[in-house]
Amino acid sequence: MEKGLSVRRIVIAGVLGAIAILLGVSRLGYIPVPTPAGNATIMHVPAIIGGIIEGPIVGLIIGLIFGVSSFLDATVPLFKDPLVSIFPRLFIGVIAFFVYFGFKRFNEYVAIGAAGFVGSMTNTILVLGMAVIRGYFTLSVALGVAIANGIPEAIVALIVTLAIVTSWKKIGGSIKKKSKISEDI
Amino acid sequence: MTSRFELTRNITIGQYIPTGSVIHQFEASLKLLSFAILVVGIAICSSYTGNLILLAFSIALFGIARIPIHYGISGIKPALPFMIILSLMQLLFYGQAAQGETTLFQFGFILITTSSVQLVIVSAMRFIEIILVSSVLTLSTSTTEMTHGLEHLLKPLKYIKFPVYEFSLIITIAIRFVPTFAMEMEKLMKAQASRGAEFGTGKWWQIVRKTKDTFPLIIPLFSSAMERAEDLILAMESRCYTPGLKRTSYRQYKIALRDFLLLIITTLFSIFIVFYKFTY
Amino acid sequence: MKSDQALIQLNDVSFHYIVEKKKELSVLHHISLNIFPGEYVAIIGHNGSGKSTLSKLFNGILKPSAGDVVVNGWNTKNSQLIRDIRQQVGIVFQNPDNQLIATTVEDDVAFGLENILVPAEEMESRINQALRTVGLTGMNKRAPHHLSGGQKQRLAIAGIIAMKPKCIIFDEATSMLDTYGRKEIVKVMRRLNNDGVALVTVTHYMSEVVEADRVIVIEKGKIITQGTPREVFRQKQLLQSIGLDVPIANHVAEMVHQKYQPFSSNLIDAGEVVEEVKHFTTGGVSV
Repeated sequence: MEKGLSVRRIVIAGVLGAIAILLGVSRLGYIPVPTPAGNATIMHVPAIIGGIIEGPIVGLIIGLIFGVSSFLDATVPLFKDPLVSIFPRLFIGVIAFFVYFGFKRFNEYVAIGAAGFVGSMTNTILVLGMAVIRGYFTLSVALGVAIANGIPEAIVALIVTLAIVTSWKKIGGSIKKKSKISEDI
Repeated sequence: MTSRFELTRNITIGQYIPTGSVIHQFEASLKLLSFAILVVGIAICSSYTGNLILLAFSIALFGIARIPIHYGISGIKPALPFMIILSLMQLLFYGQAAQGETTLFQFGFILITTSSVQLVIVSAMRFIEIILVSSVLTLSTSTTEMTHGLEHLLKPLKYIKFPVYEFSLIITIAIRFVPTFAMEMEKLMKAQASRGAEFGTGKWWQIVRKTKDTFPLIIPLFSSAMERAEDLILAMESRCYTPGLKRTSYRQYKIALRDFLLLIITTLFSIFIVFYKFTY
Repeated sequence: MKSDQALIQLNDVSFHYIVEKKKELSVLHHISLNIFPGEYVAIIGHNGSGKSTLSKLFNGILKPSAGDVVVNGWNTKNSQLIRDIRQQVGIVFQNPDNQLIATTVEDDVAFGLENILVPAEEMESRINQALRTVGLTGMNKRAPHHLSGGQKQRLAIAGIIAMKPKCIIFDEATSMLDTYGRKEIVKVMRRLNNDGVALVTVTHYMSEVVEADRVIVIEKGKIITQGTPREVFRQKQLLQSIGLDVPIANHVAEMVHQKYQPFSSNLIDAGEVVEEVKHFTTGGVSV
């Protein structure tokens, strides 16, 4: 991993950040699944993807954008608390990166899927954790939500992350900037 | 179903209502800082009186900004059901956690004390205050102003090698592309045939199916984002952009005395609200 | 206003891509060409001819695998000089949306100026001047997503004009626009060339090609012919053999010429056809 913010990282953080915001304000961010909440969100997936393809800094920034957007958008008192909506989200992309990096040498697909799953669980655990600390939920309620909703959501994130990252890599991610000039190929 | 297609080109990160009031004229960076300090004050203040003052102040802000109060109310309305549920939950389950003073009601595991009642009421007030204050902020500051304001606010971080301009460039790009992606999404959604109900067997299988159902929308959205990213990189580099290098700035940073006054007054106000020993 | 010193020189340039597992894909073979100050050059070729790779060699996005690209005396292989090269040679790309990064029109134009360290006092006038040239005056505070395709592309052009380059490359810059958008852009290009800016347009729209002083035809990575538009269109068979076409006006002229020899077949746009018709209907003699 190169150091710092290259133009590539700036741009990818920007566009994935835009998607994170969009998923948050539109109904697109919700996938109806048979869980207590009735929905699994994929709003945190851009941060996971950013962490996987461009590293922890980009993952952190996208997580920040997601968190602030979540805070500004919130209609639930829970998320109007920046410690619940913003702080935990910083870690999603960072942890996704480390999980991906750790599993990469065994199998690329396992690494991506695991990063998706763990990244999503990070979101679930840290958000609920802060909610408990700040007094919005009791520990037992939080644990219940984490299992009943968090696990299906993590599975959704795994599938979506895997689908997106593999399709991107197939299209042209590996040919770097030349992919855009491939009209001549 | 109609609400799904309301992702019009007018989607923005909050609306901007230019009324030219004094609040609109504050420099965005110090406005943001003052807002943050105010929010901290709101988050900490736990007295009845303090919150009453804050509530009145939040409402008054709309008047000062010359923004009709219904914008604030429309921010609170959707939250009401959640607030009621949350308050109920806190009332019923937090008696244990916040034991103290007079017990008002006890039945089984349910313990309601004066402290738990205070927690519920103050939480509700806090929530309303934050919504109102952040509404005034976003309604009185355009996104461009906010991005530049954030950039100026973070400038001191340059000394610890924090890439201030690059960070604000990321935010600018994100904000710039939200409406573009929204329109793209709308096109994709309209092109989708309406889906019938999927009857899979078993809960886990359903989850996988439902997720895959979103692929025709999600995957093109992300692919398009990546393609745009590749183009943007070329365009930015062709216009001589190099991260980290010195650059000049089109927007001039002009702080007036009143911006400092705003900051000072807000800080003093927050400190007062938090630390003054109100009787209630 | 052509001087002898070429603005852009390609000296025996070859280029290949490395595609997966070190496989080389050769795209350009021994190309030599010059672009002179103030010239208006069109580069045409079938898809896969190498023309889109060519445009990215002009400002150093791609470096030649063999040979040299020299801009204003600077070699594009020299990374120290790349920023200077890019200030002299700007590129307008195909997708209007993906060149705009800011939330308002004026901020986007300012981006390039900030990059090349233009003093703040100078910026406002340069921005407004650029907006005037592309016909977007008064739209300084507009958001990009409220602009039409043609307007977005004009904004992208403004962002480059403000940097005062000596040459602007238009890389299929009108392909994603409708007819109106395309006409707007061609108008702006004419205005720019009249102001002395050299233009290189890589395109497959014949209506743009007829505007140029010189046309270069690329096929399979080599230049197979070049000349004025009129000279090039005369080589109809050659063009058609590589999958290119001539302007409709030319077809019409040819068709009339088949039936009536004195009618010139060497016409390249609608205006000329009309003039030729006028000659014959008033008893004049064709050129």
